[in-house]
Amino acid sequence: MAVRAASALAATLILCLSPTAGAAETSRSFVVSFFAQQFTNQPGDCPGGINPEDERGQISVALRTMGYGPAEVRRLMAGWDKGGEGERRVAEILERRAVINGEPVNPMTHPEAVPDPNLKFVSAQKSVGFDLDGRRTAEDFIDLRTGVAGIDNQLFRALGCNQNFRGTWTSPSAYGEWVWVQLRDSQPAWLLTITGPSSGRDGLVKVRIQRSLDRLSANMDGSPRAHSTYRLDPDPRSINEFDGVIKDGVLTISRQPKFSILWNGLSAPVLNLSDFQLRLQQDARGQWDGLIGGFQPWRELYFAFSHNGIVGDRPGLWHAMKKAADHDPDPRTGQNLGISVAYRLTAIPAFVAVADPRLRSASAKR
Amino acid sequence: MNRARTLFDWLRGRKRVVSVFTVLAVGAALAWLLSPSTPNSAKVFVPPQVKASRLTPEQYRAVIGDIFGPQIDLGGRLEPVMRVGGLLTVGASSVSVTAAGMEQFDAMAEAIADQVLLQAANRQIFLPCKPADPRKADEGCARLFLSRVGERLFRRPLSESELRTFVAAAGVASTKLGDFHAGLSMSLAAMLASPQFLFRIPVLEEDPGRSGAFRLDGYSKASRLSFFLWNTGPDPELLRAAREGELESNRGLRRQIDRMMRSPRLEEGLRAFFRDMLQFDAFETLSKDPMLFPKFSRREMADAEEQTLRTLVDHLLVRGGDYRDVFTTKQTFLTPSLAAIYQVPVAHDAPNGDIEEWVPFEFAADDPRAGILSHASFTALHSPPGRTSPTERGKAVREVLMCQTVPAPPPDVQFTVVQNTADPVHRTVRQRLLAHATVPSCAGCHRVMDPMGLALENFDGSGEFRTAENGVGIDTSGDLDGVPFTNPLELAAVVRDNPAIPSCLVKRMAAYAFGQELTQDQRVFVKDMRKLFRESGYQVPELMRAIASREEFYQAAPLRPSDEPPMRMAAIGK
Repeated sequence: MAVRAASALAATLILCLSPTAGAAETSRSFVVSFFAQQFTNQPGDCPGGINPEDERGQISVALRTMGYGPAEVRRLMAGWDKGGEGERRVAEILERRAVINGEPVNPMTHPEAVPDPNLKFVSAQKSVGFDLDGRRTAEDFIDLRTGVAGIDNQLFRALGCNQNFRGTWTSPSAYGEWVWVQLRDSQPAWLLTITGPSSGRDGLVKVRIQRSLDRLSANMDGSPRAHSTYRLDPDPRSINEFDGVIKDGVLTISRQPKFSILWNGLSAPVLNLSDFQLRLQQDARGQWDGLIGGFQPWRELYFAFSHNGIVGDRPGLWHAMKKAADHDPDPRTGQNLGISVAYRLTAIPAFVAVADPRLRSASAKR
Repeated sequence: MNRARTLFDWLRGRKRVVSVFTVLAVGAALAWLLSPSTPNSAKVFVPPQVKASRLTPEQYRAVIGDIFGPQIDLGGRLEPVMRVGGLLTVGASSVSVTAAGMEQFDAMAEAIADQVLLQAANRQIFLPCKPADPRKADEGCARLFLSRVGERLFRRPLSESELRTFVAAAGVASTKLGDFHAGLSMSLAAMLASPQFLFRIPVLEEDPGRSGAFRLDGYSKASRLSFFLWNTGPDPELLRAAREGELESNRGLRRQIDRMMRSPRLEEGLRAFFRDMLQFDAFETLSKDPMLFPKFSRREMADAEEQTLRTLVDHLLVRGGDYRDVFTTKQTFLTPSLAAIYQVPVAHDAPNGDIEEWVPFEFAADDPRAGILSHASFTALHSPPGRTSPTERGKAVREVLMCQTVPAPPPDVQFTVVQNTADPVHRTVRQRLLAHATVPSCAGCHRVMDPMGLALENFDGSGEFRTAENGVGIDTSGDLDGVPFTNPLELAAVVRDNPAIPSCLVKRMAAYAFGQELTQDQRVFVKDMRKLFRESGYQVPELMRAIASREEFYQAAPLRPSDEPPMRMAAIGK
């Protein structure tokens, strides 16, 4: 029985994975091997300096923001340095820094009730990303890699002067790297399937981005393993299909209304992007490397930041993103709800398979 | 009285206790390898001289599992056996045991005996009686247990003197320890550390059909048959047949062979043979540079071995396929992890974290893989840690699969050119080997080894497919004994059709069955088996049946007076 079941599975896989009939078109699949917000900093892009990234500096700024004078801050910090009662006193002040209707509330879950520490923004003119809105504004960047103007990446502008968000193209930010390392071992992998002209040729393609039931498989050194087989998660909340084009080895998806895929509580339960775009380049080993971008609800981003301590002054990030948000104004308040973002994505060759129907049913019940 | 019989009589008859308190030093080999051939026209079968052989680690594990169940933890590893004539099983006939190795046997014996008799759950299964008082010796109960277990362990009934010795030892220990089971456990441990268990020691008897000649006695015959077909000791039914003399008649012997050939345990026998012939013990020490071959971990190594064994069992036993087709078959079995190395789709269709399952898989017609030469169990096993070696792979084809001997390299040979994978001038291994082979003393051997290995250069050191090395396209053309090929698939077909392939299998299987390399004196037997194998359509089970059915398989010559048995067991017993 087991052998027969296994045979049936193998047959199913072969059916699913064979090149598309017609010979001219093939389907090639890839698994996402790295994914994180892309912050591409350059020297001097924060002329006002980096936002205090160390705990002591953050606390001092927070105290000043709350209205404590320099002498009082020095006194409180001296107590904090000694530990014990002095440290508890500072902690108590910080815990009570968010106030609503005269009552202290949790500053992480009510960042709007914390005074804005006015984190410094990136002032550079260059970054990476996409022209999401087709307009040119003073806030736009010029793309460092393509030279294209009108790049919308306000998340970078808002957070790029915080140490743990700073990165380069070759070296991801500490926050991005940390989150990815947590996610890759715990969340189902994401799959990219490209159907179109055979490998290495230009032309129109269909691109499907979907979640797997399986985690990213790893080599013995921890690196992502190529040519593994992943079962598709049929959950419709994670299925994205777009028209794209491959030209000179670059896969492009022009503006699409929506991209949505189940993610992880460590980042956000769902990654929602509007005005979605994608640009990936394939290398000689068949690996895709590039960006996806769009406008993302910044409140969802904040709540991803709020429960991990690596990011720095978390209520400060709320205020920064709120001020930098550049899309989807609330009809009542006028406050923009979306912020332009760019995510780095790499993907390596993989196979996709339809899962056992019993597992599919289980997945659909979620 | 010949020397062999004298020796065996000594072993069987001598009163001794193999005490768990004694460090046993076995200083010498239990084999008589260098037996000179007698003049022979090669048309007459001259029985090989009798040899004792040590249980291989697999056989030890299997016998303990058979008798006491798979739940018993052996608690250690056995000393490795050296390979002779391409087989560990042959090496087991010429193996020596070091003092440290004997200590290990002793420790394992104690561990096993303790589990069997000191753990209540196991004791209920294996102890057929209850002592009158568990704090005292009980001769009757000890005798019953030790006689039953002893017959399975020694693969023959214990002589009365042996049984008396073990029962007495158990009695003394039980009394001293105030615990019947602990005392009995010490006697069981003594049995497990006894040469009668650890070594397969054939006993000869006069052959009534051949005046002045000898054959194995019934129990030795049962052992030879069982270890050949099942790679374990005789089961109770085979021991019964031996006891009742059924194995002395062709009909009785055939009935037992038929039974054993029908048994699912034949698969283990087939696996053991190929594991030995294909040198899969080398997986235990195989290492790969994780920077260069990050996919190939211990898990993939184990899977690679299992893939080939499953393929062989499926092709040869389940499908009844032609042995030669194992070199060209597209059908195999894969796990998801192994499939990633082969770059083919096999899903892990179970919740994350579950153990991976094997699935049948057929490589596509245009896939470069076919047959066991394209398995990682060949390409990765016969590659150094950080690169490929066409020479090693070619040598393995010649020696392991074709039973040919390739001379060792000259002592002063320089391998620097071949091993420099970063050489900017010679960027492919073919180029490096060509540069290396300009040395006349090297060129001859490389000509017979390298072409097959070069045809497998599409598979890197972990068995993963590639088309280029250092950016240069790989040329996989060559020839085997003048038959050309251009790629791994064509090589597989050429190997499949080479007459040395089935011929070698017969040679290896005959040596495996006898536990020793066969010489010119037994040439007629091997020749007959080759003919039968060919006529059967190269059916390996039929070859096994043919060997097991022939009376020559059970014939043996005693040691000649000039042969000094190297068996020197010091300090055995008191």
